[in-house]
Amino acid sequence: MIDPIFLAEAAVNGLLLGGVLALLALGLNLIFGVIDIVWIAYVDLVMICMYAVYFLVQVYGWPIWIGSLASVGLGALLGIAVHVLIISPILGSAPVNQLLATGGLLFFLQSFATFLWTTDHRSVRLTLPTLEYGGMFLSFARLVAFAVALLVMLGLFLFLRHTYIGTAIRAVSQDREAMALMGANPRTVYVVTSAVGGALAGVAAALLIIQYSVHPFFGAAFGPLTFMICVLGGLGNMIGAFVAAFIMSEIISIGGVVWSTEMGYVIAFVIFIIMIFVRPGGLFARRA
Amino acid sequence: MKSVRMILAVALALAVGALGVWSPRADAQAQTIKIGLLYDHSGPFSAAGSLNCWRGAKMIIDYVNEKGGVLGKYKIVQVDGDSQSKAEVAINEAERLLNVDKVDILAGVYSSAHAVPLAEKVDKQKKFLWITTAIADAVLKDRNLQYTFRPQPNGGLFGENSVQYVAHYAQEKLKKAPRDVRVAIIYEDGPYGTGVAAANEAEAKKQGMQVVLKEGFSIQAPDLSSLVTKLRAARPDVLYHTGYAPDIALFLRQAKEQGLRVKIYIGHGAGHSQLPKLKEAFGTEVEGFHTVDPPAAQLIDPKKLKPGVAELTQEMLKRYKTFEPSIPAGQVAPHVSMGFNNMWILLNDVLPRAIQKHGGFSAEALAKAARETDIPEGGTMQGYGVKFHPLGHAMAGQNMRAIAAVFQVVDGDFKHVYPPVVASMSAPPVLLPASSPLFAR
Repeated sequence: MIDPIFLAEAAVNGLLLGGVLALLALGLNLIFGVIDIVWIAYVDLVMICMYAVYFLVQVYGWPIWIGSLASVGLGALLGIAVHVLIISPILGSAPVNQLLATGGLLFFLQSFATFLWTTDHRSVRLTLPTLEYGGMFLSFARLVAFAVALLVMLGLFLFLRHTYIGTAIRAVSQDREAMALMGANPRTVYVVTSAVGGALAGVAAALLIIQYSVHPFFGAAFGPLTFMICVLGGLGNMIGAFVAAFIMSEIISIGGVVWSTEMGYVIAFVIFIIMIFVRPGGLFARRA
Repeated sequence: MKSVRMILAVALALAVGALGVWSPRADAQAQTIKIGLLYDHSGPFSAAGSLNCWRGAKMIIDYVNEKGGVLGKYKIVQVDGDSQSKAEVAINEAERLLNVDKVDILAGVYSSAHAVPLAEKVDKQKKFLWITTAIADAVLKDRNLQYTFRPQPNGGLFGENSVQYVAHYAQEKLKKAPRDVRVAIIYEDGPYGTGVAAANEAEAKKQGMQVVLKEGFSIQAPDLSSLVTKLRAARPDVLYHTGYAPDIALFLRQAKEQGLRVKIYIGHGAGHSQLPKLKEAFGTEVEGFHTVDPPAAQLIDPKKLKPGVAELTQEMLKRYKTFEPSIPAGQVAPHVSMGFNNMWILLNDVLPRAIQKHGGFSAEALAKAARETDIPEGGTMQGYGVKFHPLGHAMAGQNMRAIAAVFQVVDGDFKHVYPPVVASMSAPPVLLPASSPLFAR
């Protein structure tokens, strides 16, 4: 019989993990919802930004918060670059070609990182306190990541709701053709969306580098999970992705304590498969 | 005239054909032996020791070539393959090396997850495979492979030795009889981790220890916090951990943050043996950590080795400086020795005998020569001798004289602490120091 305190700790850990997963999924989903292309290489952009934070903080001694801001800026620039150089020329292509293009970008980024920085694992070494409350231990780094992720998601929500360009982004995501017919230029919306999606990757990078080592194949750990969360929540559905991230993280965390670490993931994947059959459009299906 | 031309053409064709057939390989192939080195140059296994193994193998090949080659005349042509830390790529690369590049010998292989499928496939093709690194018992066990040999100690030895080490020091350091020692075993769920963990568990039960938790995990898992929670609930004295590299760093971070406390921490090879990388991530917090691996040549007392062997260790360290100029000898990963020493056994013992006694370096000749290898203890840089289990044995092709050593980080460097035959420190601290974030009072 598991001590309830350990179950509670697992639930809280799941919540904290869910925050970061939600942030990753929101960035990917925002881009898909607006541009209608899945950036398979999204988590690899996060990886590049993690390297940026590592070098700025660990090698050049910048304060972590400045390194993090630089990561957000770099993410936005990378997002624009990916859109202009790779996505824009293939906007009208068949979906499989679009997938191949972003898949190619994934391999390029991994090889580029290996070439420049070798396969070594690199970590930012920060001395963070350990939090103990009622017999539960919580990761301070995860708590910070969770809080920042929530704030950023709130900021994204406000941006989409209360700014002109945010409204335009939502309009494009709801009906691309109608938006064009009304004389609006979707190109600007696409570039801004890519920049925002990239900036979210930069935020995620700053939050992940304080918890994980970065290496060229970092995307393999988070990429599939992020993609699954997006599909489970409904591709392009922001609220769906947010909820799905917490569902998956709680199953992984609590399942890991009740059964085993491997079984936690197995259960999460089984539920994912069942949900795909039951609700192919995702938990909060927006499209047929 | 026409018929004369025809006869000449047929004669020429026959002559060329005969030349092709008549090729006592050792003489006709421009005095070269092609060796395919299969390691991971990319992906997570690269930094977890695979690249260091390749460096070791390359260094000894260069060294032997500079001395004139095998037997002073057969130069080695090294052909590299990159497994990319993926089993399917390892298999494809092996196919390329064997059937496109036509290497005479396939050597290397870091990951047991690659070696398990690879060994059987290569053996079926009647090609010679020399495994320098992958340790899982499953690579050889009950397969009776004819052309696959492994001078490296097997995973079972790793798991047994680390438990015997704790049993040896239980009373003195833990103030407990072995039967009262609580051990937890966590492991990556591939053949490497499961093999070592099974040996950990079997030996712990043999010693009467209490196994309070045994659990596997995927090296790709983005979160191990639930495993840490369970470990805290299990309250082990000793934690046995078998992982690769990024997963080790993730586990240690989460263990520290979530308040896991143990008295003895023992890793088994791979990322646990890459001390400079661990220090980069965790600084002095790695003091007192253990790893289990074949002995690192530079930690062996030269007096315990046969004459001339220790000089090779110095050669290895000198050459390694070209790759990593700032890593001191006490922190050089044992993987460098694995690549260097195990390839040296092939180039210095097996190949010369195959050529001189068995007529060349075909897989058949090499396998015969390998089965005759008989190097006594102290005859290799890593201290162990070499004699392979014969065909028909459950572990045919495995070096029965190999040793797995337990290392501890003491004053920032690796020290051999067990078994006594290779120990470079007679009274190791064993316990984690009070300064360690994992230290249990």
